[in-house]
Amino acid sequence: MYRVATRRAPGLGRAVLAPPRAGRPNEPPSRPSGRDGDWFVLLFWAHMSTKSSAQTLRHTRRPGAPAALAQGFRDTWTHRRLTWYLVRADLKKHGADTVLGNVWWVLDPLLQLAVYTVMVSVIFKYNIEAYPLFAFAAILPWKWFSSSTNDAITSVVSRERIIKQVSFPKIVLPVASTVGGIVNFAFGMIPLLGLMVIFYPAHLNVTLLLIPAVAVVQFVFTLALAVALGSLNVFYRDVGNLFRHVLRIWFYLSPALYTADRIAEITTNHAIIGKLFALNPWAILFESYHDVIYYDRTPDWAQLGSLLLISIVVLCVAVVFFKRVEPAFAKVL
Amino acid sequence: MSSGGLAVPAIEVSGLGVRYSLRLTKKTTVHKSFVSLLHRPDGPSHFWALSDVSFTVTHGESLAVIGPNGAGKSTLLQVLAGIIQPSTGDIAVRGQISSLLTLGAGFDQDLSGRDNILLAGAFLGINHREMVRRLPGIIEFADLGQFIDAAIKTYSSGMRARLGFAIATAVDPDVLLLDEVLSTGDQVFRAKSRGRIIELMGSAKAIVMVTHDMIWVTEFCNRAILLEKGRIVAEGEPEEIVALHQEHSERARIEREEEVARLLAATPAPLPGR
Repeated sequence: MYRVATRRAPGLGRAVLAPPRAGRPNEPPSRPSGRDGDWFVLLFWAHMSTKSSAQTLRHTRRPGAPAALAQGFRDTWTHRRLTWYLVRADLKKHGADTVLGNVWWVLDPLLQLAVYTVMVSVIFKYNIEAYPLFAFAAILPWKWFSSSTNDAITSVVSRERIIKQVSFPKIVLPVASTVGGIVNFAFGMIPLLGLMVIFYPAHLNVTLLLIPAVAVVQFVFTLALAVALGSLNVFYRDVGNLFRHVLRIWFYLSPALYTADRIAEITTNHAIIGKLFALNPWAILFESYHDVIYYDRTPDWAQLGSLLLISIVVLCVAVVFFKRVEPAFAKVL
Repeated sequence: MSSGGLAVPAIEVSGLGVRYSLRLTKKTTVHKSFVSLLHRPDGPSHFWALSDVSFTVTHGESLAVIGPNGAGKSTLLQVLAGIIQPSTGDIAVRGQISSLLTLGAGFDQDLSGRDNILLAGAFLGINHREMVRRLPGIIEFADLGQFIDAAIKTYSSGMRARLGFAIATAVDPDVLLLDEVLSTGDQVFRAKSRGRIIELMGSAKAIVMVTHDMIWVTEFCNRAILLEKGRIVAEGEPEEIVALHQEHSERARIEREEEVARLLAATPAPLPGR
């Protein structure tokens, strides 16, 4: 880390970073001090300085994409405690001001389920067996997705004040939003299991244990979007407005409240539209959730696997983009 | 912690410049950026908040940065803290930095004081165990009593400043950056924080302080720089620099008054009969 100084061009400025107390010969600079915390700060400071040294030498030079990517993941790892604090802070705030507190985590999806069930199976007379279970299997993961992405969009701008005071890797902010959504999802499992035990014991099957596998794919996909949207919103404040509408359209165009077969029926004469529907990541995710919760069968691993791969690629691009624009945050906010 | 004999300065800044883009601001929307693509807005596209700033701070030194509003004082601290990247020049800051600049402004309003201490520690990158160990000391220094478990939104501005100061100084930094810290707080706390700062200076810590309180500059700083329009105008003994700053601001005040008088004289008299 401290090699930074050796990379500078001769005669151009001075060492950008020196370890503390480097002047003393009996303390080797590579030895971490007794205080781990200091070391973290030092490491982080070293990262920052690395960047500024590059800038000092050549004004337009930025870290390459692989370096930015590695940096992004390293930041997230070294600041995992911060992520955890942010998640916990969010959870604490969530239930604090309401009468029912954290009961809302359970109540919220149930009320939504009631609305959709009445609308779809009573008013639209869409008849499939055990519709509440079918709808619930889609509502729960969608609530996680929509709450995480909505939080992530404002995650950076809402921390404006601390960003202007302390230098820390801003990438932890959208990461914390996404991780926080997992708690939301986990709480949703309570009413789901309750629903199954009371009304649909026949659907209680070992395939339920595959929910985490599908959730992992959803997590990576959500994270990729969260990181990209969180940084975009710093520069374009209407990302939030736009994305709210995108979310709504996305939900209704995905086979959440209806089966994927229904789409296949409608699009028999328009194969191209059917193909486009199948490309929708949420078509794959909803079908997978329906598979493991409602149809009691294993999901389409090939589809799920390819979605995971694509999500990882998108995540990498998003992280590189985030790291590239991060230095501008404190100036623009 | 460390005891003198250090040849290497804690902070070295040479030829520092910070450029702000005037096109990218928080008010940007997609619509506006399309508009500005079509019609290039008039006027300069950027301005230099700081230009050609050079100075050093050695261990045990306490540097005051003074100057009129908008001179770039806070930007300078942000660059030292690593929050803003310099556009030109070199900076070297050696050691652990504590940079709760405008103390308490970054607190999470809905969390308790205790949670905010831990959160601030995590933002500063301090190990959890270390932070828990320092918790009692911070709580005691901030002297918040039962309020420590109440949400920050219930705190008075003095309490917030106290907590912020306690956190910023309790993390035992090698380099302490303070921005308008000491303007709030009661007499007792001012005396206490004064003691803490002198203590930090004694243990070979470097301090850079931005303040409008000239008494603090002359009493606690052993050097001062005067910043005007992003440039260092003068550097030296606190008393001299404060005197120069007061002279400059007095001149600026007179100029402003003359400007006001001129504008008033130029204004046409109200129409008669209205």
